[in-house]
Amino acid sequence: MLRSSEDTEKKVTEKPLKDMEISVPIVCGSAAFWLGKKASEFQSHKWTVYVRGATNEDLGAVVKRAVFQLHASFNNPTRSLDTPPFELSESGWGEFEIAITLHFHSDVCEKPLHLFHHLKLYPGDDSGSMSIKKPVVVESYDEIVFAEPSENFFARVQNHPAVNVPRLPAGFTLPPHVPVEDVDKRKKGDTKENPISHWYTIFSEADELLNLAAARQQVQASIARFRRQMSMIEGHNQIQNQNQQLKSSSDL
Amino acid sequence: MDAKDILGLPKTTLSLSQDKKPRPQKESQRKPDGISREVYALTGGLAPLMPSIDIAQLKRRPQPENEKITWQWLPFSNSARKDDLQLYHWVRVVNGVPPTGDYSFSKFNKSVDIIKYTEEEYEKHLNDPTWTKEETDELFDLCERFDLRFVVVADRFPSSRTVEELKDRYYSVSRAMLNARAPSPGEVAVNPLVKDPYNVVQETERKRALSMVLSHTKQQDRKDTEVLAQAKRITESRKTVKGVVATELSITANAGADETDRTVVPADTASPSSSIQFASANVVPPISTEDSASTSATLRMLQVYTRTYALDQMVQAASASAGLRTIKRVEQTLQELGVNLKPKVPTKAVCAEHLELRKEILTLLNLQKQLQYKETEGSSHRENSQYAETPSTPPKRVLDQDRTFNPDSSGFGGERVVKRDQKRKIPGRSSEAPSSPAQSKRPRKLKASDG
Repeated sequence: MLRSSEDTEKKVTEKPLKDMEISVPIVCGSAAFWLGKKASEFQSHKWTVYVRGATNEDLGAVVKRAVFQLHASFNNPTRSLDTPPFELSESGWGEFEIAITLHFHSDVCEKPLHLFHHLKLYPGDDSGSMSIKKPVVVESYDEIVFAEPSENFFARVQNHPAVNVPRLPAGFTLPPHVPVEDVDKRKKGDTKENPISHWYTIFSEADELLNLAAARQQVQASIARFRRQMSMIEGHNQIQNQNQQLKSSSDL
Repeated sequence: MDAKDILGLPKTTLSLSQDKKPRPQKESQRKPDGISREVYALTGGLAPLMPSIDIAQLKRRPQPENEKITWQWLPFSNSARKDDLQLYHWVRVVNGVPPTGDYSFSKFNKSVDIIKYTEEEYEKHLNDPTWTKEETDELFDLCERFDLRFVVVADRFPSSRTVEELKDRYYSVSRAMLNARAPSPGEVAVNPLVKDPYNVVQETERKRALSMVLSHTKQQDRKDTEVLAQAKRITESRKTVKGVVATELSITANAGADETDRTVVPADTASPSSSIQFASANVVPPISTEDSASTSATLRMLQVYTRTYALDQMVQAASASAGLRTIKRVEQTLQELGVNLKPKVPTKAVCAEHLELRKEILTLLNLQKQLQYKETEGSSHRENSQYAETPSTPPKRVLDQDRTFNPDSSGFGGERVVKRDQKRKIPGRSSEAPSSPAQSKRPRKLKASDG
């Protein structure tokens, strides 16, 4: 008896929610500082590769571990980070692709997610002007989408600043979530006051949306125009056909 | 001729007198130089038009004239022999000097280095419950005599042991000796005896399996292939079922387990393009052929993915029906409109807008094509059957006349004029040249009034 009720309880909390995807906007990027006078042949740049929340919030609630796979020429090329902020600093001379694997907490998702980031050290256009103060920053915005998140996860991150949670449909109630961790003890995992946060790009979707909306308008206008012309031509053709028929009948 | 000689028949030339007339001409050419007549006959009998053999090559190799070569019957000794047996053979003597050097075949007398152990070493390292010292000694002796040919050794071994047992004993003894005598374990680690130890169990299994396979009859082979094919079909059908169905609870729980099974790929294999998951590699190929409903179903199966990946999948699904050329045109249009091919800030809203835009551009391009067809239909009607142009080749005359700027110019339209001009220069690909319907209509109206 007891067992079955436990099972049903467990099922309820782990039941995945349909059509309620949770998305976590992240930015995957790198910042590379040229070492200037202190640069040697094999250590010309000091760079940091990171995965941060798009609004610089702590990702620790979602991401359990981030594994950065560096070029084979580095010592211990597989670097694993278990605490946020998920960033890794190294010094080197070469550009290469870094494979980043994000492992999530067990109630979030069983499978890891793979991302790639190409480390850029040298500014492309004006290669002459490498400055010690200004780093070469490449950031790419992306969103992690959890298709059918469990209720547990949902409840846990309902009010988390780093996570985009859709509005619950009316009548749907979730068990109130009791935060497990002691907030004071937890180390700061956000990237708001990071040394390189100064160089972070702010990604706003507003510009892109405007752009897209304008483009769509143009396309729709062209479509309307074509449709009009098409109907006119069809009318034209019909008249011609009728004329031809009349002609041929008159020839007879 | 000679055959007749052998048979004893008279060589009669009277009856063959007529045939012989052309023949003497050919026969006069039959002057073989340096080779006997019979050999020459082997090559085809009569002289060929083109010399097929370089006759000079048929002689023996050029003899150096300055040396005097004789062949002598001389004794020799073989350094590979342990006794002093002296045998005789022919020796090529040059100018009276016999050749020096060892017997040329003695270098082939190779033998295997077998480790020899002493009594104490045996006591210390090599004691084994299943093997007595005498047996081990016997084994080693046989191995040396027969150069580690274990099949022969197994045959001659006094007590019956399988080849695998003998091998195992030999290799473990050698390994133990190596390890015992080595100054440090690191040096020996490279030695194949230590690096890849002999695995008795595996070997016996392997040989047994091999003999089973070899002894299969044809019937069994056929049955095996049938069973394998069936199994393959079943696993594939199971996979597709799982890919299509996406419901709640039990299915997603199962799917989670299944997909972790499927992720066999190790983490450090490289993958070229960005934001593509390893685990979904199995799922990706069928996606492009399904429609958007199943795209979302498969996305849901993944449980976690990036927005850019999802957008890629949906774009692929949407443009599945279009050919490569159309896709390129869509991308070109996007660029002309000032839109990034991959949105810089892929949020949910942005991605949705992007997808809609792409679909609308596809519609636009399709409309353009239809419009072209309509025009050419109209023009071919008018021109009777003289021109009989197929719809795919719109009349070039119409296009060439219309170099006037389209007054109906939004920024978009203006850019399109440029595009059209560029494309007009490409010959033959007239289906690509989007003729502006507004322009071509005007001259046609004039013609209609004429006709």
